[in-house]
Amino acid sequence: MIPSAMANSTETAVESLHHIKSTEPPEWLVPKQELSQAVRAASKLLFSSLKPHCPKSTFDQLLTEGFDAEQIWQQIDLQSQPLLSSLRREVKKFEKHPEEISKFKDGGVGGGEKKKVLEQIETDNVVNDDDDEDDDDMDMDEDEDDEEEEDEEGEEEEKERGTEEESENEGEEKGGIEDKFLKIKELQEYLEEDEAREFGLKKKKTKAESKKEEEDTEEEGDDDEDENEGSVDDDDEAQEEEDGLGLFDGNDEEDEDDLENARYEDFFSRKKNKSSKEKAKSRDMLEEDSGSDDEQDVDKRKNGPSKHEKELDKLRSKIEEMEKANLDPKVWTMRGEVTAAQRQKNSALEVDLDFEHNIRPAPVITEEVTASLEDLIKTRISEGMFDDVQKARTSSSKAPREIKELDESKSKKGLAEVYEEEFVQKTDPASAPLTFSDELKKEASMLFKKLCLKLDALSHFHFTPKPVVEDMSIQTNVPALAMEEVAPMAVSDATMLAPEEVFSGKGDIKEEAELTKAERKRRRANKKRKFKAEAAKRMGKKARQMTTVGNNDEGREG
Amino acid sequence: MEIETVPSESKPESNPLPPKPKFEPLKAHEMSDGRVQFRKVSVPPHRYSPLKKYWMDIYTPVYEQMKIDIRMNLKARKVELKTRQDTPDISNLQKCADFVQAFMLGFDVPDAIALLRLDELYVESFEIKDVKTLRGEHLSRAIGRLSGKGGKTKFAIENSTKTRIVIADTKIHILGSFANIKIARDSLCSLILGSPAGKVYSKLRQVSARLAERF
Repeated sequence: MIPSAMANSTETAVESLHHIKSTEPPEWLVPKQELSQAVRAASKLLFSSLKPHCPKSTFDQLLTEGFDAEQIWQQIDLQSQPLLSSLRREVKKFEKHPEEISKFKDGGVGGGEKKKVLEQIETDNVVNDDDDEDDDDMDMDEDEDDEEEEDEEGEEEEKERGTEEESENEGEEKGGIEDKFLKIKELQEYLEEDEAREFGLKKKKTKAESKKEEEDTEEEGDDDEDENEGSVDDDDEAQEEEDGLGLFDGNDEEDEDDLENARYEDFFSRKKNKSSKEKAKSRDMLEEDSGSDDEQDVDKRKNGPSKHEKELDKLRSKIEEMEKANLDPKVWTMRGEVTAAQRQKNSALEVDLDFEHNIRPAPVITEEVTASLEDLIKTRISEGMFDDVQKARTSSSKAPREIKELDESKSKKGLAEVYEEEFVQKTDPASAPLTFSDELKKEASMLFKKLCLKLDALSHFHFTPKPVVEDMSIQTNVPALAMEEVAPMAVSDATMLAPEEVFSGKGDIKEEAELTKAERKRRRANKKRKFKAEAAKRMGKKARQMTTVGNNDEGREG
Repeated sequence: MEIETVPSESKPESNPLPPKPKFEPLKAHEMSDGRVQFRKVSVPPHRYSPLKKYWMDIYTPVYEQMKIDIRMNLKARKVELKTRQDTPDISNLQKCADFVQAFMLGFDVPDAIALLRLDELYVESFEIKDVKTLRGEHLSRAIGRLSGKGGKTKFAIENSTKTRIVIADTKIHILGSFANIKIARDSLCSLILGSPAGKVYSKLRQVSARLAERF
């Protein structure tokens, strides 16, 4: 069932391929169901045919049913990418060494069939070229929607060719020893040529050589054609690579990895080199001076480091560290006076700086502190022992010095009186008239007494006025020197008026009741006389004043 | 002055010398060969009316206590003083003349009378320009400084130094005893030179206190 189905499918696929080929370009603009179906079938076929050539393909079959164009393309891409790269490599190889193709072809097919093969290859190449050209044109002309299908188509055709060619060339085998680097035939030819040059003979040109040359030229011509056409290099290389693939199919599997895929590791194995390098090092060390290292190395290599060596290592590392630290510039903390510019930003925050605080630290207020304070306050209040500031009273031992006030008003006394007073004060201090301040004081005291008398009269029911006793003792502002006299006149009674001086009368004084009638009469007569005399005097004064005006009023005075 | 010449008789040495003559002191009237002594005091025009007003106050002490004749020569605008026969002392005339002169300078009569009563009183006059040359407004301001507001500075100086001061435009007259005149003059000069009144007061106070302490 399956193979028949497969055979049917292949036939249908081939038919579809042809169908696709025959369709004209404008028909591709409009998406058509039958076209897409044909294309899918064809691509499936190609995929399956190409599958054996790529070892890493994930899909056995191209899954087209229910899949998007994008998904189908991805599958194809998965297969074709590594395929393409390998083909490119092969093509490049053939570019450089075109003889190989002919070798493989010779080895596999034989000489007679060579030409056919070559022709076929040529035609195929030409056809492929033409097709490639067509494909390229189609690729360039058509829209993006159809690009995938076109690419598929192109690839399908390539794969078709590849398969055809592969089927032709699968039988060939390659020589055992020969590889890219070493070609014995080339070597032989070179030697012969050299000898011929030396000896002046050109030796036989074998048919193979001529054919090779032809092939070379043809291939070179093909190559040139290919290159000249300017078609996509990938396609040409793909062809050649496919050709090569067909030839090389078995070779890849058979050849050794070491010879073909020579890598760095083959030539420069690290292990071997390591050992050699180490030995070189050890020799150097010995030559220089450090034998211990060698010994150590040797020992290490022998046993593993012993305890003593471990300790010594530690010590050495420590010593190295310390020496290094000594050589380096010091850390800023060890450097004495450091300003902000000489250290990193905020580096002082990281270090615990110790400096003297000249201020007493503020007391931390805790509950105990407040409790103690409150207790103290309470005791003080209860005792009444406050720390009030007592006013210091100035001791009033000194009498207040009398400041002479500058009288800024016009003096009422004349200058003569002033000097008179001065003179009097000098000679007789007691009888000096009272100073201004004393007079004021006297006046004030008098006023106050009057006021008190009135108030007492108003306030008492049984008011008896006090007898007015004039016992004011006037303290004159006498210079100190006067007081210091032996007999200070200010203090003595001599200054005080004697009773007879107070009394301005004459003779015996009798009370009103004691007077006799004659004495009363005499008293009255004296009074009258006095009064008359005074009156006359007054009138005389007035008269004098009147005379200036010019008044004749003598009669009035009478 | 009459000189009585004693006839010198040539007697033998046995006669004792005649008694020395006793001469009374010369009266003011007899001085200068019996001629009368005059003093004339010119009256400035601004003192004319005050003179008229206070004439009697001037006249009375001069005529009655000093015993000097005094009269006003209206034509010549002068006050004339003349000794009388009963003038006790020749210095009276001078004192009266000084008294009248003081009045003419500008002093009041009660102040000037002190000259009559006391011997040691003098009048000193000086000008502002003697102390410092001031012109225009500076001069006016200096005069203002001297007198003070309502004359209070001047009175303060008068009262504290027991002097009397007359400021007549640019002339200053001080009446008082010698020491007091000196103090008053110093304070006035400091005022002219520009010191403020308060400073002068404080100085006055100090000085007057010192003056009062000693006698």
